[in-house]
Amino acid sequence: MGFLNAIRSFIVVFNYFCMAFTLLLNIIYIIQLLVSLVRVHKNYDKAFSDDFHSYVDSDNLLPISLIIPAYNEQEHIVQNIRSLMKINYPMYEIIVVNDGSTDKTGELVINAFNMHKIETSIRYQIPTADIEGVYYSRRYPNLLFVQKKNGGKSDALNAGINLSRFPLFTCLDADSRLERDALLRLSMEFIKDSRTVVAGGIVRIANGSKIVDGELKGFTMPKKLIERFQIVEYYRSFLMGRVFWSSTNSLLIVSGAFGLFRKQTVIDIGGYKRNTIGEDMEIIVRIHRYMHKEHKKYRVKFNEFSVCWTQGPMSLKDIRSQRRRWQIGLMDTLISHAPMTLNPFYGFVGLFSMPYNWIFELFGALVETIGYFLIPFTLLMGELNMFFFVMYFLLSVALGVIISEGSLVVEQYTHRAAMTAKQSIAISIYAVLENFGYRQIITLFRMEGIIKYRKLRKTWGKIKRKEFEQ
Amino acid sequence: MKVELLSVIGLLLCLLFIGIEYILHYRLAEIQDERTAKAENIRQRLEIHVEGVLYAPTVSSRNAEIEALAAEINGDFEVYEAAIAAICGHKGSKADTDPEAIDDLVAEINEQVDPIGIYAKMLDEGDVYHKGYACRRLSELFAYEYIDKIAELIDDKSRDLAYNAAMALCAFGDSEHVARYLLSIENDRLYSGRIVNEFFAKFKGDRQELAELLFRDCNPYMRDTVIKTLAGYKIDAFRPMYIEGAGGNDHQYKIACVKALAAFGYPEDEQLLQIAAKDKDWVIRSSAVRGLSLLKSPEALATVKHALSDKEWWVRQTAAQAITKMDISPRDLEEILGGYDRFAADAMKNVLYKSVDGP
Repeated sequence: MGFLNAIRSFIVVFNYFCMAFTLLLNIIYIIQLLVSLVRVHKNYDKAFSDDFHSYVDSDNLLPISLIIPAYNEQEHIVQNIRSLMKINYPMYEIIVVNDGSTDKTGELVINAFNMHKIETSIRYQIPTADIEGVYYSRRYPNLLFVQKKNGGKSDALNAGINLSRFPLFTCLDADSRLERDALLRLSMEFIKDSRTVVAGGIVRIANGSKIVDGELKGFTMPKKLIERFQIVEYYRSFLMGRVFWSSTNSLLIVSGAFGLFRKQTVIDIGGYKRNTIGEDMEIIVRIHRYMHKEHKKYRVKFNEFSVCWTQGPMSLKDIRSQRRRWQIGLMDTLISHAPMTLNPFYGFVGLFSMPYNWIFELFGALVETIGYFLIPFTLLMGELNMFFFVMYFLLSVALGVIISEGSLVVEQYTHRAAMTAKQSIAISIYAVLENFGYRQIITLFRMEGIIKYRKLRKTWGKIKRKEFEQ
Repeated sequence: MKVELLSVIGLLLCLLFIGIEYILHYRLAEIQDERTAKAENIRQRLEIHVEGVLYAPTVSSRNAEIEALAAEINGDFEVYEAAIAAICGHKGSKADTDPEAIDDLVAEINEQVDPIGIYAKMLDEGDVYHKGYACRRLSELFAYEYIDKIAELIDDKSRDLAYNAAMALCAFGDSEHVARYLLSIENDRLYSGRIVNEFFAKFKGDRQELAELLFRDCNPYMRDTVIKTLAGYKIDAFRPMYIEGAGGNDHQYKIACVKALAAFGYPEDEQLLQIAAKDKDWVIRSSAVRGLSLLKSPEALATVKHALSDKEWWVRQTAAQAITKMDISPRDLEEILGGYDRFAADAMKNVLYKSVDGP
């Protein structure tokens, strides 16, 4: 009897804990939302007088190396390089690093751009797997193709850094597309504030959008529900979360699909960490750690007007693989840099950003999953009042809708909305619908990531993505 | 009962909030749609007017078209800017072949539209961002009558507005106010470096006069920044100062002065550059190598060749790029490429491979 009572008490306490957890999380989200709303609105006004186009011929505009790590990317790579050659930026080089692809990635690039092998001196400022050859074409002098042994995405990025000539570099996914002015807008973060060491742009879901040469030419609602939910999710993540964290200089992640880095800082910290699948988050956390230790002034920025388009996964299988990977990457990074957590030496990053990620981003999935099973169970046991159960559920959904719908309002304040008013309102219906099934499934995938952390922490997995509409 | 009531009130508040969000969202999206539709409408209407203005067969018909265009613009700066952009970017017209004719045409349109009046109103009534924008546009339109008004804004507490006002004054060539603005930010080292660079690039007046005003009152950091910026403009009057700095002990001053001297490429500075090429600081060595490559004397060539095996990669790379522009003999080239100095050979190969075509 005593044991049963103990279990019963535990369940009741856990239920209260779940409620308090949900309430606290939503309060944090609402604060993030309000801060983001104000900042985006202000940044838009500020951008009006910035006149970033006038910087095209400025000496202050730093040249950029665009590094594209490619592993079996034969479907996208040539098209992506061609699209990058049309971006609006006065001085940049494209470095494609073929990370031991087993398909025709290398062959296609070499033939498409008439490249030949050159001898070059490589500054191995960061150790990488063997580089087998460097290819160049005089016809495309700002393109370099690097053939290397397979060593993973981080290793490919490090090889690209070693070969890059310019003081800034950006890592791009082979299956993403940059908007024509994206680099110009993002590099303004380095011009306007010389303390900037990293700046991330917004990644938008391209499913349904027609993008030609880096310009959005129209939007039609994607066919699959899963794609529609992702549109809402990305707005929430980028326009609410990242805008807020960057405003406190404690942003812990800059998307691997589009981030601009000061090269010397990345070299100083030893480049991207190998053998991790969350290299994009890990490098940012390590930069925070290094800069604090060295007592250097620095900024990690986010620019909501600088857009990179990416095709979101279209099947539940692919989204499962993606979210599991994200969760494992998050866990890996948090464990690697655990001493920063609650450490006042790291300022806002240590006191707020790291604990937030531990509690809500990592263990949030765990609490939510247990809650999904335990609360109905408690209800069946008669330990929970039906009224409270219904109210708790409705309040959670309502708060979730406030957050998601709020992100769509913030999106309107960027004045770069891809959709018409009707489409925009139609997509906001999914801010409600996502609470009935989609969110729970995603939580389960995240939970799976935590469970399979040890087994899958070095496995990337391949996601099948749609071609960009031309 | 109390908790139950509270949770019901909480839920109702949430629903109210969601309702407000939806209304706001829809309204903002509608405004966005209206703006897009307006822009498209303006584009279509402007297309007709622009073609009318560009292809009018007679002077009188062109004047009539300009009047119609002015009526279409009707004091709206966005429409005005769209019209000018459409005229300047129009393909197949004289915009492609005769830029002067287009400048004249724009001047005629400006007479009718009075864009200065539009931006002056913005300068009076706008928020800080619109005021900043107006400053820049007024300077592009050479509205000299607004210099004093713009100059008052360089002391504004909004950094953006002060910057835009000072930038406008650069376009007017107002050295006195620009110098005052630069001196006011000289202690903000995170900000002033790039501003100096930008301002000298956009400055339409006498750069020497502006630099002299700055040198008179500025701190060493601003002085060094200005010298580095001025390197590209090769102002002879400052050479004695550069020579003095290049031989001195103030490290940052020396870096700036060697860079400025190297840009001249005067044979009489060779001795100084030769000494600088042996400096312990690689930034100074790199600048000196670049300067020596302009001289093309046998001694300069020998120093640049020597720099190909410098311990610092950037110096080697600078030397490799510089040496290809000098009078290098095939024998020298063979010697570098086939020699035991791997650094020199690698640096040269890197440059040479990029200068030839593939198979």
